[in-house]
Amino acid sequence: MSEVSSTQEFQYSSPRHQAETAISGMWLFLATEMLFFGPLFLAWIYSRHWNQQGFDAGARQTEVIVGTVNTVVLVTSSLIYSMGVTFIEGGGTRRLIQCCIGAWLLGLMFLLLKFGIEWRHDFERRLFPGSDFAIDGPLRDGARLFFVFYFLGTAVHGLHMLVGLILVGWIILRARRNEFSSSYYTPVIAVGLYWSFVDMVWIILYPLIYLVGRGA
Amino acid sequence: MNPRLRHLLLAWELLLALLAIEFGASFLALDRAARPLVLVPAALMVAVVSVAFMDIRRGPETIRLCAAAGLLWLCILLGLGSLDPMTRVIHHVRTTNIK
Repeated sequence: MSEVSSTQEFQYSSPRHQAETAISGMWLFLATEMLFFGPLFLAWIYSRHWNQQGFDAGARQTEVIVGTVNTVVLVTSSLIYSMGVTFIEGGGTRRLIQCCIGAWLLGLMFLLLKFGIEWRHDFERRLFPGSDFAIDGPLRDGARLFFVFYFLGTAVHGLHMLVGLILVGWIILRARRNEFSSSYYTPVIAVGLYWSFVDMVWIILYPLIYLVGRGA
Repeated sequence: MNPRLRHLLLAWELLLALLAIEFGASFLALDRAARPLVLVPAALMVAVVSVAFMDIRRGPETIRLCAAAGLLWLCILLGLGSLDPMTRVIHHVRTTNIK
């Protein structure tokens, strides 16, 4: 964090102080986000503990290939964005824009795979946990709980992805207006932290949804 | 190549390797209760992302403090919340017909 802001607000002792405060604020926000997703993970622990067989039967219905491809897509998107941060540290605005566009497109690809393909197949196979739920028999209740977790978890994560796409788009617009340089790029770092955090949440959701119940 | 870019690419390769291990481990015939062990590579992936992509080692102490505080409260949330399902013993009661 060596950049120095071109403008310094009155309440900060130095431009560096201003930049460090902004980044610390972003980390504080991410700490609250960890606690936002915490109850979702707790719901998984609680529901699976009391309904292991049904819960795992539900997990085996998920499309593991799409989930795995999406994990690679999101991890790559984080890599490309981080490369953009490295480029702007050296003053490479054009490279930053290219990296942000790459990260943005991969984020869009994630959403299309998740909601355009996977969710559509899930609805076609009557896996939405409503009255028309496809799985019958003694495992029905556990499997239904799994799909409540699946749809809620992926929807909340998808909303975070959508916010991330808007933020990365905002960075692209500002970079195109030449608002960033090697001496000021704090917003680029802050959005990168959010983007990687959303990636992190998916890294945890991926095994909870697709892997833990698969070989059981 | 810029050393920082090389560092990022290495982290990405490590993430893909951990993902492959996690994917492969999910097909192991583990006991149903032991299957959450599949999450171990995911925890390592989270650590790699925080170090390589989020650069948690650089910057002021406050960012590490915020990350540690978030992690601590998440552990408290999951730990206290899991106590009931992990420790409760269900005693099945035989029902009898009272005539």
